[in-house]
Amino acid sequence: MNLSLNRRRFIQATSSAVATAALLTRSGAARAQSGEVRVVVVGGDVAKAHAEAIIKPFEAETGIKVTPINQDVSAAQIGMMVAANSVSVDVGILSQTGVLDLARHNYLEKIDYSTYKQNELDAMEEYAKKPFGVAPYMYSWVMAFNTDKFPAGKPQPATWADFWDVVKFPGARTLPTGQDGGGPWEEALLADGVPVDKLYPMDIDRVFASLDKIKPHVRKWWNSGSEVFQIMRDNVADLAHSYDGRMVSLVVEGKPIEVNRNRQKLTLDYYYIPKGSPNAQNAQRYIEFATRADRQAALARLFPVGPSNRNAYKQIPDDAARKLATYPEYMANSYAINAEWYAEIGQDGVSNTQRLVQRWNDWILR
Amino acid sequence: MKTLQKLGRRPIVLTAPAFVLLIAVLGIPMVQLLLTSLNAPAFSLSNYQGFFEQTSNVRVLFQTVKISVVTTAICLIIGYPTAYLIVSASKHVRIALIVLVLIPWLTSGLVRTYAWVVILGDHGLINNLLLNLGLISSPVPLIYNRLAVYIGMVHIMLPMMILPLLSVMQGIDTSLLAAARSMGAGPFLAFWRVFLPLSLPGIRSGSLLVFVVCLGFYVTPQALGGLGDAMLSTFIASQVASSFNLAPTAAAAFILLGIALVVLSIFGLDVSGSQGRAARATRKSLPSPLPSFAALTRFLKDLAAPYRAKRWTAQLYSARGDSRLSSIVGAVFVTLVMAYLLFPGLIVVMMSFSGGPALEFPPSSLSLKWYRAFLGDPSWTGAFWNSIQIAVTVAILSTILGTLAAYGFNRTSRRVRSVLTMAILAPITFPAIVVGIATYFGLLKLGLLGTRSGLVLAHSTGAITSVVVIVLATLANFDQRLERAAQSMRAAPIQVFMRVTLPLILPGIIGGAVFAFIGSFDEVIITSLVSGFDMQTLPLKMLENIRQEIDPTIAAVGSLLTLMPLLWLMILYATWWWSKSRLQQLSAKPPA
Repeated sequence: MNLSLNRRRFIQATSSAVATAALLTRSGAARAQSGEVRVVVVGGDVAKAHAEAIIKPFEAETGIKVTPINQDVSAAQIGMMVAANSVSVDVGILSQTGVLDLARHNYLEKIDYSTYKQNELDAMEEYAKKPFGVAPYMYSWVMAFNTDKFPAGKPQPATWADFWDVVKFPGARTLPTGQDGGGPWEEALLADGVPVDKLYPMDIDRVFASLDKIKPHVRKWWNSGSEVFQIMRDNVADLAHSYDGRMVSLVVEGKPIEVNRNRQKLTLDYYYIPKGSPNAQNAQRYIEFATRADRQAALARLFPVGPSNRNAYKQIPDDAARKLATYPEYMANSYAINAEWYAEIGQDGVSNTQRLVQRWNDWILR
Repeated sequence: MKTLQKLGRRPIVLTAPAFVLLIAVLGIPMVQLLLTSLNAPAFSLSNYQGFFEQTSNVRVLFQTVKISVVTTAICLIIGYPTAYLIVSASKHVRIALIVLVLIPWLTSGLVRTYAWVVILGDHGLINNLLLNLGLISSPVPLIYNRLAVYIGMVHIMLPMMILPLLSVMQGIDTSLLAAARSMGAGPFLAFWRVFLPLSLPGIRSGSLLVFVVCLGFYVTPQALGGLGDAMLSTFIASQVASSFNLAPTAAAAFILLGIALVVLSIFGLDVSGSQGRAARATRKSLPSPLPSFAALTRFLKDLAAPYRAKRWTAQLYSARGDSRLSSIVGAVFVTLVMAYLLFPGLIVVMMSFSGGPALEFPPSSLSLKWYRAFLGDPSWTGAFWNSIQIAVTVAILSTILGTLAAYGFNRTSRRVRSVLTMAILAPITFPAIVVGIATYFGLLKLGLLGTRSGLVLAHSTGAITSVVVIVLATLANFDQRLERAAQSMRAAPIQVFMRVTLPLILPGIIGGAVFAFIGSFDEVIITSLVSGFDMQTLPLKMLENIRQEIDPTIAAVGSLLTLMPLLWLMILYATWWWSKSRLQQLSAKPPA
């Protein structure tokens, strides 16, 4: 009895061990076959959030090895890679303007939406599913100010006109540099009284006339998210025009910062696949996986970016959801960047982005 | 043997290996970039016209030149007396000071730039100190202006000025000064007419090196400067990031190169200089026969010469009372310069022990957590080893090729030399970002993009340049008659090189190797273009970290980088001084 039981147990144990071994080898083989995918994750907290929310579960599900690229890869770099037929990126992430530019040069693979589940596709915002890119999240450009300087109960800057009003709200400002084509253009127009539905096509002369007024009060035109983070953290400036994520991080840290989302400028990044990507098939799978509602929710819990998949909000607690740019309540007071206008090429063969850069370069030296 | 002799007769052959590398990695793609900027095959100057039609381009071009000139001038004004005082210090003090000059240079430029942000910031070290002392009520704007740019740039460039000066000054025979004094020259005149002309090769190579590197600066002005403190590289970088059309970018780059070439041809076509030239310069400044006022005063001064000569001998044996004051002034000056060079490094080291979640000074609490973060993160340690391996390979490769090339240059006719020098300076005359693009194309053709060998080649272009410049400056003070003397005693060419030339120019070679190592170890712009995202180097990792979140891991890495090389610096300098002292022993031996 004892013996037989033991033997049965023994057989069970061995067979399951054999089965496990077989499974292991099979998944090992699958891993070898399915190879790798090289994904731009940029770096810092965003990269860490990607690793937890997307990369690890993706590797577990598919056996495909993800090689993260911890670096900003510009549209021009991708263009050079494709033109030189030496592509070392499978999944990239870029602003909508960059992706639009790449698509226009025919540098991108088409996204294969046939593998997406219907319920996921339906829940995804229209802007998020383009032929050459899928947007996993949205973020915004917001106003942030120091609550020690402008405490509750006293007047606080509410609009962009207030931000420009240095008499009513004295203090040092920090705004993003315009050297790469994006910049505080829309905000300058809003401050000057342009209604939000009349922003585009932008009146570039009016933009810079408005910027002239604020120029002497800007302590630093920041270049990177880490810079504006540091500036606001150290009270170098009292008011900032910044990405929302960085400022929300400061609020979470307990710093005296308030984020004002009135007239926040929504923008998004797209996942894309460069033409000639060596692992294009894996890249398609990665993007499909990363844009699922549960993955977007997982990402948003780790890093404050607003999901593009509405179903993701069902899985995010309300206090966390309130930190995100696409939280339904904020949407009414938001507007989106018009990437088409930026990419538009004028009669002189210069795109509006380039026109803004040229104008900026001239303006800073005046 | 015959081939060796041929080689000896045609020294230009020695420059071939360096040039093959430069042409393959940089030269051919550069020509392609030039053609692109000219809209080949249609050929037009429209891109250049377009550049000058935009007033902002012209203004920023002037500004770039101005910032570079001022930085070079400040470096020379601070660097020359520093080098002079270092050379005239006692042996042990001298070694210590040279090490102190090298330490900041070994600290990553990125880390040093951010140290200045922490020092000069509105709530940085200085402002906090002044606020706490009650001297000011609100922060003084020390940062985000031109002054901060100069402070940061001079800090990065000063060792680059001092080291070539040292290399040349150490070769100057101080008995020449004593001879001048004995013939009645005052200390100032002896310096002006004897020492200064002899040190000209160092001034020339130091200044050129600083100037051309400054032309391509952009991380430091961007971090420390205000809105208007842009340099052309900033413009080019944003053009590269925002446009697929390389032609206007290439045109801007070639315009910058043009400026560098003009400056080179005016001030120092002949980077190597030569003793003969220096001697001629001195001769030229002899009193002219014209009965000018200057000549008259000089004549009157010369009348007093015999008296001064007599007094000099008296001084020689008297207690040196009057020199005490000047030595105190010198000591204070050197101390101040060293404090300026080392203070930011110290800040970085101290910040690295911070217990807070972001970079702060003074640290609110002490901990080793950022060191643990560095050592426990394989992406940091992996990047660190990558950088070490690449930099060592680059140093070995470029020191060999660079020394051969410098030796070859030194022996060719001056016209050939000046043309070749221009070519070999290209990697550091071009803005780093354009060298990066050209290198990218070059490596693509060689099939080495994204490989370790590719990265080594990319770094070697700039490293060879540094080695050539420094070794040339050393060779300029090398008396070729020593070689001929050895040859006359039947030494074979290889023997002459190994027994006479090499030991004499070894300090220059070691200096070159150090520069090559650091250049590679610190390089970030070219690396980011050609690494193909496979290979993370330490600067790339740091840049990523600085851009994304300023966490004190950078300070921990920076302080490790500052403290670690001390060890091998000691070893390096031990070899140097060993060779020097051996040489002195040799020369001290009476002729048999």
